[in-house]
Amino acid sequence: MPEDVPIIRMGPNLLVALQGNLDDTTVEQIERAVTGEVARTQATGTLIDVSGLSIVDSFVARVLARLVAMIRLLGAEATIVGLQPAVAITLVELGVPMGHVRTALNAEQGMARLRGSRDEPDR
Amino acid sequence: MGYGGVAVGGDVSYYQQMIDSITDYEVIRLDENGVICSWHPGAERLTGYTASEIVGRPVSVFYLPEDIAAGRLEQELRTAVEKGRCETEGYRVRKDGSRFWAAVSVTPIRERDGSMVGYVKIARDLSERREQQLAALAVEQMLDAITDYEVIRLDAQGYVRSWSPGAQRLKGFAVEEVLGHHVSMFYTEEDVRAGLAEREMGIAARQERFEGEGWRVRKDGSRFWATVTLSPIRDEGGELIGFVKVARDLTERREQEQLLARQRDEILELSTPVIQVWDKVLVLPLIGTLDSLRAARLTEGLLERIARDQAEVVIMDISGVPAIDTDVAQHLLKTVEAARLMGTVSVLSGVRPETAQAIVHLGIELGTLRSRNTLRDALQLALRLVAGADRDTVDA
Repeated sequence: MPEDVPIIRMGPNLLVALQGNLDDTTVEQIERAVTGEVARTQATGTLIDVSGLSIVDSFVARVLARLVAMIRLLGAEATIVGLQPAVAITLVELGVPMGHVRTALNAEQGMARLRGSRDEPDR
Repeated sequence: MGYGGVAVGGDVSYYQQMIDSITDYEVIRLDENGVICSWHPGAERLTGYTASEIVGRPVSVFYLPEDIAAGRLEQELRTAVEKGRCETEGYRVRKDGSRFWAAVSVTPIRERDGSMVGYVKIARDLSERREQQLAALAVEQMLDAITDYEVIRLDAQGYVRSWSPGAQRLKGFAVEEVLGHHVSMFYTEEDVRAGLAEREMGIAARQERFEGEGWRVRKDGSRFWATVTLSPIRDEGGELIGFVKVARDLTERREQEQLLARQRDEILELSTPVIQVWDKVLVLPLIGTLDSLRAARLTEGLLERIARDQAEVVIMDISGVPAIDTDVAQHLLKTVEAARLMGTVSVLSGVRPETAQAIVHLGIELGTLRSRNTLRDALQLALRLVAGADRDTVDA
């Protein structure tokens, strides 16, 4: 992970592109940067693109779930996009609880879903 | 003293003492009709008869009935007379009726004028050597009877010391083409350069056995896939004196295994087809019994297709599956969850009444999985989902 976490603003939404390897320090950086940016921009939705991560194991999965929870607490919707087939199988086999995490195939679809779900009463 | 004859003159008692001191051989005198005239401790030890029991009886008491019937005794005596000596080997009978393998030499005794007075018969018990001979012969024949395997002997340096019909059949070399040659002549060039033969023998010497598989070369240059076992041969002192090498041609089995694996792959491919029926909509028609191998293949293939086609909805049609057990149901749900993590919605279709009962009775948690009675209904739902209606609101 580079020093600066790449966060792109797209209208009312943010796109966070995670890349390379995640360790304890980079995770902290990411959490600080993402929560700060969501609060600062008053974003309604955040896409977390994981297609650039070299490894997604149970540690990374927990990090993702945590990140999603933080974003929700800030009043924004979060969606994880770009999970690869092998990673998806591994997470299911490991039994990592990801039940409440919203997903999309790619950033485009994720954006469409964020837009559609924003005004729903139950969310 | 005449040629081949035994002196009868001179001091006979000296000769008798000499003969009495021989205990490993039987040395007796027969008269011209084959009747026993002398006896000594060596003969008693060999046959079990004492002098009083045997002197005066015909020598034929030592022969097997069938040999007497075949006239072997007369033949031997005649040969001795004609050739001056007759040497034979064969079974003889002891006093107690047991048999032993004897080497017998009969020499005629003549007077100075050349007239026959009898014979000297010298016999020795060679039963033990005979047993060893028979055992060695049996081993040799046993090895020769093995034609599916190559069973050969190498010396400690790896030079071929014995060859077998099985080896000839396997490799095409005749015995004279390989004896004394180094075993590396059967290895491929790469393996020879890599010193594989020496390494295998080294392992066999250290671990008392080497087993391996690999390519070997026939006389005509063609290769075959062989399984090889090397065992060291040691002398009484434990010194390595060579190796027994057993090899077998597994080419056919290897090819069959590969063919089988290929066919299994093809069948799996056929049995888990994924069809794109609409833009961003995939259908997975499941037919037949799902085993774990097939189910794993199914998950893998489906997720790959989702990634490739960026499919938003997957319809799993299980109307062709006769029975669903816990493992299969769990596996299907895992597939659904993995697809969801990738951002794809799954729709189940074609659930039979008994399957529905089974799934609920098994206590399997279906979560948010949607199900439709028919593939047609499922497809309608899928199209609505793709058309942009929110996936959480489209439900019934």
